[in-house]
Order: sequence, then structure tokens, then C-alpha cells
Amino acid sequence: MIYLKLFFEFFYTGLFSFGGGYATLPFLYHIADKYHWYTTKQLSDMIAVASITPGPVGVNVATFAGFSTSGILGALIATTSVILPSFIIVIMLSKFLNRYSDNRYVKSVIYTLKPAGCGLLAAVGVDMFVNNINFVGMLLLLGLFCAGAAEKRDPLFYLGISAVAGLIAGFFNLAG
Amino acid sequence: MEITLYQIFKTFFKVGTMLLGGGYVILPLLQSELVERKGWISDEDLCEYFALGQSIPGIIAANVSIFVGYKLKRTAGALAAISGIVLPAFLAIVIIAKILEEIVNIRFIQSIFWGVGIGVLMLLFLAVKEIWRKSVVDKFTCFVFFLVFIMSSCFKVSPAFLIILVIFIGLCLEAVKRIEKE
Repeated sequence: MIYLKLFFEFFYTGLFSFGGGYATLPFLYHIADKYHWYTTKQLSDMIAVASITPGPVGVNVATFAGFSTSGILGALIATTSVILPSFIIVIMLSKFLNRYSDNRYVKSVIYTLKPAGCGLLAAVGVDMFVNNINFVGMLLLLGLFCAGAAEKRDPLFYLGISAVAGLIAGFFNLAG
Repeated sequence: MEITLYQIFKTFFKVGTMLLGGGYVILPLLQSELVERKGWISDEDLCEYFALGQSIPGIIAANVSIFVGYKLKRTAGALAAISGIVLPAFLAIVIIAKILEEIVNIRFIQSIFWGVGIGVLMLLFLAVKEIWRKSVVDKFTCFVFFLVFIMSSCFKVSPAFLIILVIFIGLCLEAVKRIEKE
């Protein structure tokens, strides 16, 4: 039963990938080895494509695996099952937090969690910066950041500009 | 004004369409759409959801969307939010699944990847700057920020572990305050 297998494998991926970002990748590689729904080459292509198609990589790969094995229904099942664990856990956690929102300990924990969330996000940014940026990229980033800090516009505006800048840089062989 | 499920779906669909280059981009996007434009949630809420979303299993963008949807309109809101986020991703992949390899090898598309990657990074830093203003309010929160930042970026400590540590610190802080009062 391919549908059941898809459901089980992607539910498992959603349930055990901690930490966000690329935490789903080890599971997705494991699935590639086990079932041959997609090859590891296709997976690395997917990861590249996922940076320009909308949506998180984990969701993109689930849709792709489901679609390439068993069409649109497979895509639907795989996509739903990778998200289902999140849905259940987040709703339970939200209910708990709502019920105890006046508790002093819960308040204190939330007060401490906020700067921690900010710290984690900053670490993600630095990590992405160190790993994928060259000199031209740095100039582009600096320019965009100054423009963005001076005047806040729709994110789409900046993504559009950076896509065009990428094209131009690629034309002159400057893109990483 | 009452927020309808359709509005939630529509807003998250828009965010889902712009969600390029990995799930973390959802933060700057939600900040611009939901905090600044619509005023549905605050920067502080977003920060809390991000921290919690990192410490539980699952895809980070999905976790944050479900938190926000639930906050806006309970379980139905969460469902509307997650459908909106996922639908653009789903459609995009179904459309390009057959020509995947060809797309990856086209050179000008790779240049676009590269450019968008930098745009995404800039949005991320802008979000950090905004959220910093709201969440780092005193010496203690500043300490927590740098503790988590350094442990995560220099020592690659897992986010789940860091969040558990921070929850523990938060509990201790309150316990110490209580003892001091007595």
C-alpha cells in the first residue's frame, strides 16, 4: 500500500525532525535509500529548487516524493502527513499556554524565551552569511540592508531586487 | 473588526507565496504582513512562537503558522493558516515536478537562486533588528540573547536543547524572585 507507506514515512519525518531549517534532510535521505521514491540526486536538486519555489524544503520534498510515486493523491497525502505532527503538537501546546497564561512561572518562561528566539534567529542569519556569501554578495547585502533599514517596504520588493541583482551578477560571472 | 477564516487563509497564502529560500523567511514575512500591516499579532508574540516552534518537532514555518493561526481563531484559524502556507508550495511542486532537473541546470536560474538567497538573508537581519528591540529589554534578556546566540552559532548546540535550558532558566528566575520576597 503505497499511500500508507507515504503517510507513515512522512508523518515520522514530521514527528522527529527537531530544530527546523534543514533538520528534515537526514530523514529525507534515509527515505531515498529505503524506498527509491526519489534518488539522492533528485533530492539535492529539490533542495536547490526549494530555495526558489515557495515553501519550506521539507514540505517541498514531501510533495515531490508523493507526486512522483503516486500522482496528485500521493502528493496530498505526503504533504499532509509531514505537517500533521506539527499541527497536533502546536495546538496542544497553545491550549496549555492559554490555560496557564496568568501563572507567574509561565510568564517568566515566556519572558526568557523571547530573547532566546531572537538569539536563535540571529545565529541562523550568521550561519547563512558565513556559508554562502562572497564579496559581491556582501556588498549587495549591505546595500539592501541599508535600504531596508531606512525605509520599510514589502518583502517582495526586496526579493525582486535581489533576484534582478543575482541575474546581473550571474551575467558578469560574479554570482557565487 | 472580526478576523475571518478567509482573511487568515488569504494572508498566509500571500506569505506562503513569498516563502522563498527556506522556512526562516517566514519570520520577516509574518512580521511585515501580520504585525506591521494588519496588527493581528505583536513582535513579542512572534518571537515567542519562533522560540517554541524551534524546540518542538516539525518544520519551523509550519509550526509558527499554526501558532499564529491558533492565536487568531483557535483550531479553525490554525487550519486556515497552515493551508494557506502550504498551498503555494504544493502547487509549485506539482507544476514543476516533471521538469525538475532541467530547471536546476539552467544557469540564469542559478543566478536568481543566488540573488534571492541574499535578499532572504537581508530580510532575516532586518527581522532580528526589529525583534531585538522588542524582546531584549533589560540586562537579563540581553544575557539570554547572547547566551543562546553564542551557544548556537559558535558551539552548534541544538535549538531544542537551548530552549529547554532557557525554560529552566526562566523557571529558576521566578523561583529566586519568590524566595527573595519571602
